[in-house]
Amino acid sequence: MGVAVARQLSGYRAAVLLGWAVSSNWTRPILFIAYSLLRPVSMALILAVMYTVITGNAAATRPYLAFLIIGTAFWSFIQEGVSEFANGILEDRGRYHILKYAYIAPLGFPIYLVGRATSKLASAAASVVIVLLVGAFALHLGINPLQIDYPLLVAACLLAFVSVIAFAITFSTMLLAGRDTNGYGDIIAQFLYLFSGAIFPISVLPGPIAWIASLSPLPYWLELCRRAILHARVYQMFPNMSDGEVLLRLVVATAGTVLLGYILFRFTDRRARRLGHIDMEVNW
Amino acid sequence: MKVFFHALSPTLESLSAVSGSHPSSNSSRLAVETRRLTRVYKTRRETTTALHDVDLEVEQGELFGVLGPNGAGKTTLIKILVTLLLPTSGEAFVDSLDVVRDYKRLRNRIAMVSGGEQAGYGVLKVREQLWMFSQFYGMDSKAARRRIDELLDRLGLAEAGNKEITSLSSGMRQKMNLVRGLMTDPRVLFLDEPTVALDVGAARDVRSEVQRWMAEDPTRTVILTTHYMQEADELCDRVAIVNRGRIVAEGAPRTLKASVDEDVIVDLQLDPGTPLLDRLRAIEGVGAASVREEDGVDRFSLLLADDAVLPRVMTTVEGAGRRVSGLVRRQPTLEDAFVKLVGRSMTEEEAG
Amino acid sequence: MSAIQHAERSPLRIFLKTIVARAYPRVVAANRHKSWLFLDMALPMVGALAMVLVYQGLHAPRQYLGFVVMGGAMLAFWQNVLWTMGAQFSWDRGNGTLELMAVSPTSFEAVLLGMAGGAMIMTTVRAAFIILIGSLVFNVTYTAGGLLPAIGVFLLTLGALYGMGMLLASLFLFYSREAWHLGDALQEPVNFLSGLYFPVKALGIPAGTETLLVAAQVPIFALLAGVALRYLESRARKDGKLVTRWE
Repeated sequence: MGVAVARQLSGYRAAVLLGWAVSSNWTRPILFIAYSLLRPVSMALILAVMYTVITGNAAATRPYLAFLIIGTAFWSFIQEGVSEFANGILEDRGRYHILKYAYIAPLGFPIYLVGRATSKLASAAASVVIVLLVGAFALHLGINPLQIDYPLLVAACLLAFVSVIAFAITFSTMLLAGRDTNGYGDIIAQFLYLFSGAIFPISVLPGPIAWIASLSPLPYWLELCRRAILHARVYQMFPNMSDGEVLLRLVVATAGTVLLGYILFRFTDRRARRLGHIDMEVNW
Repeated sequence: MKVFFHALSPTLESLSAVSGSHPSSNSSRLAVETRRLTRVYKTRRETTTALHDVDLEVEQGELFGVLGPNGAGKTTLIKILVTLLLPTSGEAFVDSLDVVRDYKRLRNRIAMVSGGEQAGYGVLKVREQLWMFSQFYGMDSKAARRRIDELLDRLGLAEAGNKEITSLSSGMRQKMNLVRGLMTDPRVLFLDEPTVALDVGAARDVRSEVQRWMAEDPTRTVILTTHYMQEADELCDRVAIVNRGRIVAEGAPRTLKASVDEDVIVDLQLDPGTPLLDRLRAIEGVGAASVREEDGVDRFSLLLADDAVLPRVMTTVEGAGRRVSGLVRRQPTLEDAFVKLVGRSMTEEEAG
Repeated sequence: MSAIQHAERSPLRIFLKTIVARAYPRVVAANRHKSWLFLDMALPMVGALAMVLVYQGLHAPRQYLGFVVMGGAMLAFWQNVLWTMGAQFSWDRGNGTLELMAVSPTSFEAVLLGMAGGAMIMTTVRAAFIILIGSLVFNVTYTAGGLLPAIGVFLLTLGALYGMGMLLASLFLFYSREAWHLGDALQEPVNFLSGLYFPVKALGIPAGTETLLVAAQVPIFALLAGVALRYLESRARKDGKLVTRWE
């Protein structure tokens, strides 16, 4: 048992190193970090300008700016978790032709996938901090590190991490079972953007779509992050729910995502093998 | 390295004398000519000399082979001649045009096909792909399509012409690549390991099409790099053997093989056991020795000065406790010429 | 000796034929791989939809929705330039196509113009769909008086964008993965600075000034792209970068 765990760990470590090498060995670490931060910081600035154009930065609407910026900051996790996960798997198959070897290795395939995406998730964590710093110092959102409810933040992020990884593994395997699936990682990340409540409350969505969004763990996770950081000084998507109620919904939605993900993974994994797509030659 | 070439020099001299007898008079037009051609690759960590003072003359109408182990500098030579890479020093001319200065004109007259090529756009069908490349040469569309059909037909790809290239087998793909190289009727065609990783049938088709294309026009020239000695022997009018960036011998395959004619060539099969190669090489009268493992047995190739050396070889083998499972005396090959020239087999050279 | 042998065709003929030939796979690809068509339209549409919903969340006046729809359409061009022009040479080099182009008598400029032409035709169709669907879904109206200047600015912008695409392609060719990541990182900052989702005057730049800036970019990018391509091709030949496969 111990040997098996050690082998899995060592396989995971190799996948992490591979992911890091593929995503970062084109430049020096400092430039890599700078490039990784450009996108989320720019996105935050776009939203800040849109907000200013419409509201004139009136004091009464400041909680909504905080809503936008914190949502954008944490969004990086989903962006990297989903699109990079998917891009990585397709890149390993079509470009580097190594996916088949990882797939048949004794290391569990999901563990390989998580390892491959770990470095991206780590850089996403860094960009969360940077965007929050931009919010705190450039946009004066009143973020005080000493007033953050860390237990709530950590609990919410752990649950979200589990559901994002479960979703990403399932989704990546679905892409593997299909043809011509390059680029779908980005599109799905964009769709999740609409359902997550990252930059607008899900109540803005048309009725049925808002209902579907309410089944996803993402709005509850982002709501808890916002509340943990700014408490009542941020616009709330679910003003009638207590922190505990939101957390409970996050737990239930995460469990549902993991269960659904597991069923779909089993199905699509088998389908990919049946179709012979694991080592499919694609024109990259 | 210096010692190595010093030891080799008598052999080199004798071979240059042989190749000097080849009819490369100044009056005939040269398809390829290089003078002291050198290419050095520099990275932060190391400097590698891929080609070192290479002098080469290939006449129009020749099918000329560049032979050598992987990493010998063959591909670097081709890349320079097809204008993809600049030499560090020296000169190179193809069809009398300088590859450095006249490269734009030269590109009208050459084509290149490499082994294992994956070039092209997967979304296109074979005919479309070939048509696209023909347009990069400014060919008339109708004439190009006619020529493509003719060549596809000759290579048995007429039906595959309407398939997307991603659906082709590696053999079909390489035949398509050959069509791409032939369709513009280049004056000099460069084939870089064109049959690498192909099955026997596809490799034979590629080789016979090259021969047929050459036979159609006596002014056409092919420069072929390969590490398959058999292929070079079968196809080439002349070959240059390249090792570690230098040409170590040049001449017709028959002439090169003649350099080992006086030796007795013996293939010795031994069951696995203690390493023996160095001990065999140390025996007086053993000109060269190489070994490769195949089907669980060690196959030694020995170049012996005469038959009298064989008993000494057998004594050494028995002394090492190795069991002989086969012994054959055979005709010389280009591989034997290589081993005699370089002192080691191509496989050993590739291993570094 | 066959009739087509040894004919050295005029550079102009090769140039023009290359443009048509290289545009061909672009047009064909769009028809053969419907999923690409979907992606090319869906990504900017979803991006635009997200921004529309942000404006709705902010209770913005309806006129802002027009910005977003137009922004979504222009985003299709920007993404197209960045990835299917800038990055295409890197892909071409990766699978060996670039070296086959390099040993042919054609020029990289012609290849890039073909790529741009094919891409522009297809992306214009997509952008038109995005504007049409976006306008219908979000009920956006446009004033006829602004149409002609808008088309003029649009054409100028395309010129500048595709000129930049050619420049990016040569940079990608030489700096490879570094330039690739730079392109990725540039995506959102360019969205921000170009005012894709809000009026540029919000950044303190008058619209007239921005038009002038765009107009100036057309010859600058075209010139820079030409110079860069020649310089980088010769450097690439010297350093062996044309024949490098995976890095």
